[in-house]
Amino acid sequence: MLNIVRKSFQKIYGHPVNRYLVLLLGCLFFLPALAIYFSRRKNDGYHLQADAIRQSLTADGTAKRLQEEIRQQVEKKYTFFNKNKNSAEMKKEEDRIFTVRMKEMVEYRMRREHPQLRELSFYSVVDELLSTNGGMGAFIVLGFPAFLLLLILSNSYIKYIFDRVLMMLFVVFGVTFLVFTILYISPMDAAVNVLGDMATPDQVEQFRVAYGLDQPYFVQLLEEFKGLITFDLGQSFIGGEDVFTSLMNRFPITLELTIMTLILAVAIAIPSGIISALKPYSALDYVIMLIALLGLSIPGFWFGLLLILNLSIKVQLLPATFVAGSWTSFIMPSIVLGTGLAASTARMTRSSMLEIIKSDYIVTARAKGLPKSKVIFRHALGNAMIPIVTVIGIQFGSMLGGAAVTEKVFNVNGIGSYIVDKQFIPDTPVVIAGVVYVAIVVSLANLFVDILYAFLDPRIKAKLKSY
Amino acid sequence: MNQNQQLYEKKTKKRKLAAFSELISINLGWGASLAIGLILLLSAAGNGFAMNGTLLFALIYLVSAAIIFAVAAMMKKEILSENQLSKRVRSLGYICILMLATGNIFAAIGGFQLIRKYRPIEYTMAYFAFIANAVIILLSTINMFKQYVANLFSVGMILLFVFLVFYAFAMVMIQKHGETSYRRLKLTAVISLVCAASGNIFALLLGLIILTKIRNEGSHKTVGWIDVVSRMFRNYMAAMGVLIVGVLLMLALCSYFTFDYAYAIDNDYSAIVLQPSMEYPFGTDAYGRCVYTRIAFGSRISLIIGMISTAIPIVIGGVLGAVAGYYSERTDNVVMRALDVLYAVPSTLLTIAIVAAFGASTMNLIIALSISNIPVYARTMRAQVMVVGNSEFVEAARACGRRKHEILFQHIIPNSLAPMIVRASLSIGVAVLSTSSLSYLGLGVEPHIPEWGSILKGGSQYLETNPYLAIFPGLAIILVVLAFNFIGDGLRDALDPKLK
Repeated sequence: MLNIVRKSFQKIYGHPVNRYLVLLLGCLFFLPALAIYFSRRKNDGYHLQADAIRQSLTADGTAKRLQEEIRQQVEKKYTFFNKNKNSAEMKKEEDRIFTVRMKEMVEYRMRREHPQLRELSFYSVVDELLSTNGGMGAFIVLGFPAFLLLLILSNSYIKYIFDRVLMMLFVVFGVTFLVFTILYISPMDAAVNVLGDMATPDQVEQFRVAYGLDQPYFVQLLEEFKGLITFDLGQSFIGGEDVFTSLMNRFPITLELTIMTLILAVAIAIPSGIISALKPYSALDYVIMLIALLGLSIPGFWFGLLLILNLSIKVQLLPATFVAGSWTSFIMPSIVLGTGLAASTARMTRSSMLEIIKSDYIVTARAKGLPKSKVIFRHALGNAMIPIVTVIGIQFGSMLGGAAVTEKVFNVNGIGSYIVDKQFIPDTPVVIAGVVYVAIVVSLANLFVDILYAFLDPRIKAKLKSY
Repeated sequence: MNQNQQLYEKKTKKRKLAAFSELISINLGWGASLAIGLILLLSAAGNGFAMNGTLLFALIYLVSAAIIFAVAAMMKKEILSENQLSKRVRSLGYICILMLATGNIFAAIGGFQLIRKYRPIEYTMAYFAFIANAVIILLSTINMFKQYVANLFSVGMILLFVFLVFYAFAMVMIQKHGETSYRRLKLTAVISLVCAASGNIFALLLGLIILTKIRNEGSHKTVGWIDVVSRMFRNYMAAMGVLIVGVLLMLALCSYFTFDYAYAIDNDYSAIVLQPSMEYPFGTDAYGRCVYTRIAFGSRISLIIGMISTAIPIVIGGVLGAVAGYYSERTDNVVMRALDVLYAVPSTLLTIAIVAAFGASTMNLIIALSISNIPVYARTMRAQVMVVGNSEFVEAARACGRRKHEILFQHIIPNSLAPMIVRASLSIGVAVLSTSSLSYLGLGVEPHIPEWGSILKGGSQYLETNPYLAIFPGLAIILVVLAFNFIGDGLRDALDPKLK
């Protein structure tokens, strides 16, 4: 395991951002290491010899000749491109090339004259320290956070997930900042909306002080961030209910609805997409694709109204509004919410299936006499699933957001309708908490899809290994 | 042996029939007429087959379907026996064109294709311009049953009829000079550009195509965009989509002349929630306003919102995505992480948040829709720029010493636009959908402006007693979004370099 950490340090050292992160986290260990490095560097054989060579190069005029040669080359280039000669830009380019060539020359001479000497770098010092048991022990004790980070980054899968989680945290804070800023510069005044037009200026002022609305922008924003870190989402302006509790009360309803929709949509879309792809340009294909296109074009709330009109009012088959605990009242909202998802999934299934079926390895499998059903389900479907999963992942997010309208149509007490209701006040704590919650779920869904990829697609798996 | 022969004959038969694209259009013509007739018959059945407009139209469409079916059968017989269509059968197309008077555009498209053997893209444009113009005349004629019409009604109608005659004339001219003396079409092209002022995009395309071809005469290269247009119109569904959007665009402009805005916004308490009649084809709403007129004027606001809220994010998102995809990795990281924040919030929710915070108005709606669309375009553009940026011609430009931003804006971006165009046509439809759902939540445009979503919201309160008030605006929304989806799919195929 200790060897893993050493290897991981080697990998991380080449990465610009992660390197500084590790150095910063383990500064208690790395500062003494730096001191060791400098003390050793003073009388390091490599550096002494290199300096000697550099001096000799300058002394015998090689450096001067090199500089002249480079100057001519650069001048020729500038003449050819009709650029301004004698400019500062040209001088800079000359110097740059000279430094590089000089270094190359010194390194070349060093390799020839002193092949046994190795350049001493900070990395080699640390690596040497970590190779001994004592050094490693000191690292674990002094630079424990860095040690943990190196351990995490050593496994490419864990590193990938770790990076994504970091990004998610950034997104969560970004979303909070965005929504808070929008609500802050909005001309709507929560105090007036909550208290009513009849409120005296004193009452309004009292309200603002009570909820911290009189503070400057950055203080309020910092308060929001603090609340986010401590999971204290505050209390809503109206009713003073705890936002976290009410979100958690509504969460299962929306989740149940979304999952039911997902199952319904996928169960319809993937088979019909496969049927379409197996018989392309047939009448059945055209009908399925036309229905899918209609599903993409239909406004969800209108479809919901039509369903209510035909199935609840005219026939009285299903309840028009949502009743907690009765699964029949979930059917219509799921159908409405799932139409768009099913439509785009079916279209994606068809096109990705068509592409796969035309590929050489499927033709080979057919030519070798494998039955068609086996070719489709064993060989084609797995590869065709990759873009389909992407579409489902993306749609899942927009479904959570789009659920707001559907939830309003069917009177479902979910998160979407909760946010929309509070938006008009604007009940800032509720709106921010709701939107951030949705953003977290969307990011988690995307992360899940990306990890799923690694298991579905060997190409991505290979790429991840060298991540 | 016998079975093989049968299979062979079947295949030759199929190939022979497939060579005549007019047969496909005629077949679609009777199929669509039959479907519309049956749907109308079903809704008439709901009223117990009382003799009204719905039943009449159902019968007309069913009879049309029967006639076109007979035409299709004759065509099939002749193609199989002689492998060509005689003048007698081709002249049957005029009967199909006459069905345009009942609003049957499917029959008309089939008819126009049937009457001519030689059908260049100019001819296609001319007859689409004719059909769009005729549809507008039909839609405007319904206003004659109202108590009063707009002041400019007669002027508008006369102009529309003049345009109609011109398009017919243009078709004759194209037939006469199209192959032999192309230069003589110049006058036709100029007049057609003038007619395009009525909002007829087909007339515009017709004029531009002829003028471009005249200018490029002699050099035998094909012009890229004309190629794309002709490939697009070979796709029946895409052509249908363009026709629907074209009609709506024309309606948005022509309604200044032939529709009376007063019917759409003035309250009339003597005519509240009326059933559909000749005077009020789609009934009246809770304020006595004519729903038909409101839907006609609604096309204006829907198209404006859809187009502007697509144009803004294309520019902003496109530039951001191009910069992220072309310049250093650090730029990429900064831009894309910032956009990830926007991307993490579902666009509906973000739009709701912005509109609710700044008040419901057309301007705020457009801004909100634009902002929530930026990340999608940026991602599309970035991916495309990354692919194009690695190609040889970019390398060549770099070797010639062109500056980085010159290469990006002059070489890479013009070659990365195809997926953006496809996405744009799809997202106009989505914008129309989002606008209507926001209007349903009370977050759309100002309530007095006729917009499809707000008309629908008003109608949905009478769902039990007068469901048609909610059904017709919903159908209008579906039709437009469907049309843009057709166009998007058609553009994707037409712009695909693999299919060229």
